[in-house]
Formats: sequence, structure tokens, C-alpha cells
Amino acid sequence: MRALVVEDDQDLARQLTDALTENGYAVDTAHDGEEGHFLGDTEPYDIVVLDIGLPVMDGIEVLEQWRSAERAMPVLVLTARDRWREKIAGLDAGADDYVTKPFQMEEVLARIRALVRRSTGNTSPVLTVGAVSLDPSASHVTVEDRQIKLTAHEYKLLSYLMHHKGKVLSRTELIEHIYAQDFDKDSNTIEVFIGRLRRKLGVDVIHTIRGLGYKLSDEDEAAV
Amino acid sequence: MKRRFNTRSLATRLILGSAVWIVAALVVGGLLLAGLFQGHVQRIFDDRQAIMLDSLIVVTRINDDGRLELTQDPGDPEFERPLSGRYWQITPQSGAPLRSRSLWDQTLQLSGTAKQTQGRRRYIVRGPRDEELRVLERDITLPGSDKVYRYAVAIDYAEIEGLVQPFIVTLAWSLGVLGIGLVIGAMVQVRYGLRPLGHIREALSAIRSGRTERLEGNFPTEVRPLADEINLLLDHIGEVVERARTHVGNLAHALKTPLTVLTNEAGTEEGQLANTVRRQTDTMRRRVDHYLTRAQTAATAGVIGARLDARPVLDDLARTLARIHRFSHLDIRIVAQDEIPAFRGDRQDLEEMAGNLMENACKWATEKVRVIADGADGELRIAIEDDGPGLPVADRKKALARGGRLDETVQGSGLGLSIVQEIASLYGGAFTLGDSAMGGLRAVLTLPAAPTEAMRPAAE
Repeated sequence: MRALVVEDDQDLARQLTDALTENGYAVDTAHDGEEGHFLGDTEPYDIVVLDIGLPVMDGIEVLEQWRSAERAMPVLVLTARDRWREKIAGLDAGADDYVTKPFQMEEVLARIRALVRRSTGNTSPVLTVGAVSLDPSASHVTVEDRQIKLTAHEYKLLSYLMHHKGKVLSRTELIEHIYAQDFDKDSNTIEVFIGRLRRKLGVDVIHTIRGLGYKLSDEDEAAV
Repeated sequence: MKRRFNTRSLATRLILGSAVWIVAALVVGGLLLAGLFQGHVQRIFDDRQAIMLDSLIVVTRINDDGRLELTQDPGDPEFERPLSGRYWQITPQSGAPLRSRSLWDQTLQLSGTAKQTQGRRRYIVRGPRDEELRVLERDITLPGSDKVYRYAVAIDYAEIEGLVQPFIVTLAWSLGVLGIGLVIGAMVQVRYGLRPLGHIREALSAIRSGRTERLEGNFPTEVRPLADEINLLLDHIGEVVERARTHVGNLAHALKTPLTVLTNEAGTEEGQLANTVRRQTDTMRRRVDHYLTRAQTAATAGVIGARLDARPVLDDLARTLARIHRFSHLDIRIVAQDEIPAFRGDRQDLEEMAGNLMENACKWATEKVRVIADGADGELRIAIEDDGPGLPVADRKKALARGGRLDETVQGSGLGLSIVQEIASLYGGAFTLGDSAMGGLRAVLTLPAAPTEAMRPAAE
């Protein structure tokens, strides 16, 4: 899962980035509206945390431009202005939810999880495919109630697959969603991670769709 | 010593001034008129007396014995009636004088100080009844004699007075009535003239009590600049308040990011430092929210000249909340009569109150949220109900306490209800919590409604 944090306060941006990274997100950070707008316009984020009061370009304007360019990723707006006037303005501009400052990090993370879950069409807070369960709030993966230890990259990959279960995902898409922007991406690493995941999970839920990519489902898929 | 008149009152000053001037003018005018009339009457009497004297001279002659005699009566019957007040007397240089019958047995003592004009002398003497007599006298030498005779005609002065006195009385009371009329006229004029000042005072009191925002009305040319200046001053005060409010808002908002950073830096760590930071940032957060709410609301609560249709505000909020809760398929519905009273206040404040309550209801509702707006007796009532678990009576008071937060597991600053209560009380309204027939909480806002068109005072 890739997240974009657009926040001009360096400390708060760092805290948000750290918290999201800790929770298995690949995070990019922007400190002004223009940079944030550019990243959101060019990178495929699964969630954006956007501050309203930004230098260079206002958060509302950034959001409006994204929406008019049909960038549909879920956006959580952070605002110090807690009057309804401002909340309505933010939501009318296309925000999916808002959190007013000062906030507890847990609250922001919970909102982000909910937004990501809903935007990918999942309703339950715990994602399940066959015997495999992933709890995003605790970053836990279990197979038949047995907890599985995963590296950060393995978790990111599995989390993305679990959120998009039943869909065929290309290697490029997977790479784009598990690495942050400035990371040196190598598409071959995906195969390595998939191999490790299959081994660690021990159940056959990750299917290779030849020439297209991978698909997570608990049904047996005939290799094409 | 107690002052009888309040000379600080413009009206009293003007009325007193006019009254003094009116009384002075009437007294002087009255004296002048009385004097003129008296002079006029006296002149008429004097002329008649001269004619009487001439007639007396004409009817006298020296007879063959060389004695003076009357050839006929002098004409005026009053000369015949004893002590009538009209007398004549012809006094020779020696011997007894000839007298009118009216003198009866008396003789006029003609010796007053004389004022001589054209051979005639005028003076005042005492008459037979001790009355004041006005005497006209002339020395005549008749043909056929070389003796000089003093011809005198006397008229009781009371006769003149008898004519002048009623005139003066009539004059006095008519001038008195005129004076009272003029003073009343002056009072009416002063009241009418100063009425625009009264209007300004009423308009200012309307501003102070929040019924209007500016001095409105057709003021006369002399007062217009004053009204304009007051309006400019009001604008200036408005700007100053707005600026102060913006500064408070900016300061409060600027503090929120550092507060967030500090809160999260302390995180869930144990230890004295982390605990202190958490406690203090929490206190700071509450203070900031409290003063921010007050600054944002108090300023607008003072200006209640506004009328706001609550319906679109509630619709906007419902639409926004439906968007946030679109995944949980909440049924948020506004139930309102076609004509609900307008809210007498600011849009943002209504949004704050209704928004927080509706957000709360959405947070707890199972599937339904109802917003029921109606009004009566100059009040607008908005009830927000949900079908959630509700709130035990014991917890309601706690929920209204500043920053009270009952359930740490449901997200929210926990300030919602207390902010609603604070804003409602700033508007002089009420906020109560009760049970909803749908099973959840029923929050009722009772707010001042703007007067309806029919109840509004007519514009100047």
C-alpha cells in the first residue's frame, strides 16, 4: 500500500510518515502543495493524507485539481480549522474524510485503514482469503490462527494482494504499490517476494497468471 | 440645592429659552398696547372736553347789566345731574363763580399746576366727591366787558379709567392665552424638531441590543453626518473585532499543529516526561478549543441582526455527513415543516451546533438519523435523533462538561456536546439531551428565531 503525506510541518510530516511506515505503508512525503499535487498526479497512491493549510498551493486547491483530473484515490484531509464551514469545504472539494488537529496518531491510522479498506471494496476490518487472515490495525498475518512473521516488504506485498483479492495484479502494479517513489525498483524482486510468501504461508492462495501477473484467491486456479 | 430644571436637556433649554423670550415680548407688547390705548382714549376725552369748553363759551354772554349769563344750557345733561362727575365753572376775577348744577353747592378749587397749550390749561384737582378731576381751563374776555373770566370744564378721571380698565383686562388675558399657546407651540416644535435625536437613540439601543447592525433611517440634514459618523465608527469597531477574532483564530489554529506534534511525540510511551507532555498538551488543547469557540462565537452572537434560513444549512450538513458515512449506508433525513422560523444568528454558529450533533448522531446511529426542525413562540427548535444505543441519564451531564468524553474508543475530540452547549447559551438558547423514540439519543436545540416579517418593526 502506498501512501502520500502532504504536510508542511516537518515534525508532523515525520511522525505521520513514521507511523504509516510502521503500519506497512510505503510512504512519500511532500512539504508544500505544489510538490504534493505533482506526486499525487503522477504516482499511484492508495491513500493520501493532505493538510489543508499548505504553502505554495492550498490543500483544497490541490484536492480540486486531482479530482478534476479524475485522480480518485482516497484522501484524508487534516485541518486545524475545525469549523463545519471548513469541513464542508474540504469534503465538497472531494475529500473522503477529515481529521481535525490536534489528533492522536491512532485516530489518523484508523481512518486511513477504513478509507483504504472501503476504497478497495472490503467491508470487514480483518481481510481473509481462505485460511489466511490479515489484520491491518495490528499488522498481523495468521494462517489457521497461526501467526506468520513477515518482513516489511513481504507484508506490504501481501497486504496489497489481500486488499485486491480475486484481481489479477501485474508485477509493475505490485512494484508501484509496495515501494516508495525514491526506492530503486527491480521487478525481479517481486518474484522473490512471492516465492517467500508462498513458502511462509504454506497454503496455496497466490496464483501465477502467466503473462499477466498474480492473483490472490482461495480457489484452485489452473496455471495458464 | 435641588435644581428645578434639568438644564442638561436640550429640550428644556430650548423650551425655557422660548418661554422667556415669549413672556418678555408679550409683556412689553402688552404694556405698549395698553399705553397706546390709554393715550388714545384720553385724547378723545380731551377733544370732547375742548368742545364742551368751546360750547360753554358760546352760550355765555355779558348781559345788559354787565353780568355774565348763560343764554342756554351747555348741552350735556350730565352737567345738570348733581355730582355726576362732569362740571363746569366760570370764575370771574372777583365775585362768585358761575357753576354747573352738577356741582350742587360746591365750588371747584381751580388752582392745580397747569400745563398750558394754545391758551388752554390742563390740570388735575379734587372734585366734590373727592374724585380726581381732569380740568380744561381757558381765560376769556367776552365782548361788552373788559373782565377776564376763567372758563373751566372738569371730567372725572374715572370715566377714562372706566373705558381703559376693561380693555387692559381683556388685553392681559388674551396675551396670557396667546403666551401659553406660544409656549405650548414652542414645546411641540422643540419635541418635533428634536425627534430625530430620539430616533438616533432608539436606533443605537437597537444596535446595542443586537436587533440591527447599523443606524438606519431618514435622518434630517443636520443629523445625517452624526448618523454617518456613528455608522463609520460601528464599521470600525466591527473591523477591529473581526481583526482581533481573526488573530485569536490564527493563533489558536497555529498552535494546533505543534500540539499534534507534541501529543504524538509523547505517544504511548511511559515515563514522567511523556505523561507530563500528554497531560499538558491535553490541557492546552482544551484551552485553545474553548477560547477559539468563544472568539468565533461571541463575536457573531453579538450581531443578531441576521436572519438565517436553517433548512439549507441542515441540508448541507446532511449531504456532507452522508458523504462521509456513505459506506455505512446511513439514512440521514431532515424532517421540517415548509415554514420553519429563521434562526436569529450566524450561519457558522448554526453549522457548528447542528453539525456537531448530527455528526455525533451519525457516529452512534445503527441506520437512521432524523433531524426534526420546527418552531413556536419566537423560537426555532431542532431535534436530532438516532437509533443508536443512546446515553444513560447519569452520563448526560458528564457529556456536557467541557471536553467530557465518554467513550475513548469512538473517534472524536469529545468537545462536540460542550461546544454546542456553549454556543447555544451564548445565543440565549437551550440544549437538552433526552431519549429518542427511535431508541437512541435525542438532542434538542432551542434557539432564538428571527422575528417574522409581520412582527418586524416597520422600517423608518
